[in-house]
Amino acid sequence: MKKVLGVKLLRKIDALTAYYVANRSLFNRSLINLEGYVKDSPTLNSLIHSTKFRTKEPDHLKDKLIRKAIKAAEQGQEFAITPENLFVVINDLAGYRILHLHTTQFQEIDVELKRIFAEEAWTIIEGPTARTWDDESREYFSSIGTTTLPHPNLYTSVHYVIQPNSKITCELQVRTLMEEVWGEVDHTINYPHKTDSVACKEQIKALARATSTCSRLVDSIFTSYRDYQTTSNLASSKTKKTPPKKR
Amino acid sequence: MINIAAAMANLGKRVLLVDADPQCNLTSYLVDSEVVDNWLDESDGPNGTTIWSALKPFSDGMGNLLRIQPTERQEGVFLIPGDIQLSKFETDLTQIWVECFQRKLHGFKGVTAISEIVNNAATDNDIDFVFYDVGPNIGPLNRAILLDCDYFIVPAACDLFSVRALKTLGKSLHDWILDWQVISQLAPDNIYLLPGRPTFLGYILQKFRMYGGNITSEFSAYAARLEKTAYSDISVVLREIDKNLAKATLQNKLGQVKDFSNLVPLSQTQGEPFFNVAGGNATMKNEAKTEFRSIAKNIITLTQKDKGAS
Repeated sequence: MKKVLGVKLLRKIDALTAYYVANRSLFNRSLINLEGYVKDSPTLNSLIHSTKFRTKEPDHLKDKLIRKAIKAAEQGQEFAITPENLFVVINDLAGYRILHLHTTQFQEIDVELKRIFAEEAWTIIEGPTARTWDDESREYFSSIGTTTLPHPNLYTSVHYVIQPNSKITCELQVRTLMEEVWGEVDHTINYPHKTDSVACKEQIKALARATSTCSRLVDSIFTSYRDYQTTSNLASSKTKKTPPKKR
Repeated sequence: MINIAAAMANLGKRVLLVDADPQCNLTSYLVDSEVVDNWLDESDGPNGTTIWSALKPFSDGMGNLLRIQPTERQEGVFLIPGDIQLSKFETDLTQIWVECFQRKLHGFKGVTAISEIVNNAATDNDIDFVFYDVGPNIGPLNRAILLDCDYFIVPAACDLFSVRALKTLGKSLHDWILDWQVISQLAPDNIYLLPGRPTFLGYILQKFRMYGGNITSEFSAYAARLEKTAYSDISVVLREIDKNLAKATLQNKLGQVKDFSNLVPLSQTQGEPFFNVAGGNATMKNEAKTEFRSIAKNIITLTQKDKGAS
């Protein structure tokens, strides 16, 4: 049975969307400020490949609110989103993403991000939480004290929800370039509405496995590279032929 | 301003005058030039008494604002002296404003610095009304000051410059208030912010001549234009943001101060309000007293709050 939302509720959703549009610049400004902190940090610059950010498209917010309203109706609950709580309840109105090369860089990125948030008086209200379905990846995040969550769609990324103040929330994602490829393909096909194509669904699942394997390979290459550097430095310092290269 | 302040003090109010114009005209008006010179010479040191003395530790990046005590110029009228070096801080304020948009804590501290200094002095001396004297421009210093004011009053001379200045002022205030709304919404919780809602209290007509109880014709045309412009270029513009920032009426004249010709130089040399000067025409002094008392009463009635500012 298809549920239909009443005119009153649809008007309320329109008003919420309009309220977001009127305040969208605040989210944009917050993201620009975040970008400023990241670009000012030499530590992050040495770890990060690139960053991207966006504020949510008003139509996508409207869709999301409609989905939430339908869900509330199905569960016999009231649709409780108001202009007062909209910017906190929906916490991906501003999205900031950090892309890096290999998984184990995350630990240092996390330490630096937490330092910046403390210095600039931003609050982390959620996370970091690593969404991952891969056992080895879960093991790594657990070993550095990061909470892990399984994700049914084979999605992989670390999430934070942060606040410049109690009125606004931003979502911050940290993921590897490989994970970005999968994420972008999945997003294009499945957002805002999931595809019904069985073939696409199957291939996206297979791509997740290929991505995981690629990530694992990149991690392995960097582990090997570090190991190679250490041993060759040790060897050259023992023979004292040439001074070790400074990096 | 000193005339209104004195009239308010006579009505039992405690008034703090803040000379926020780097030219220090108000300070020079009220205090002997030797004393002023001395203050300015010492304002960089730890015993400085000017507004710059309070700001200096922050401006130097050396820490907190210095708590300064205003001097009591006459009973109930206090003064925070101005300082030429305030123009240095005005230069810093341009960058400080950018930092506010970047949500940097240094920016918030800087833009509220004068407000904090004045609030401290007002609390310490149980002040009812604070009046800022500002230079005639729309620079970053006046932006920080106007956003700190609950109310503002425009002294408007009967000439073309004043008519034009009202337009510029209205537009600037409109933009400043909106910018400040954005900045406040981005700011961290529990941080001291400027109120950012200066309400238009009215203008005071100045520099005109009277003949037989009426403003002479050469000035009355400007007086009419000022009334219209004050409404269309300040009230209407501010009411676009919030209906409470100005009244929906043409009647924004708080009072009128005619050209009290020979009282002006006497007042300037003696540092006294027009109606308290030694010498001068007694009728004129009485007229001045009545007019300023009426303006003071108007301000008190219109504000009905603890803090007003011009």
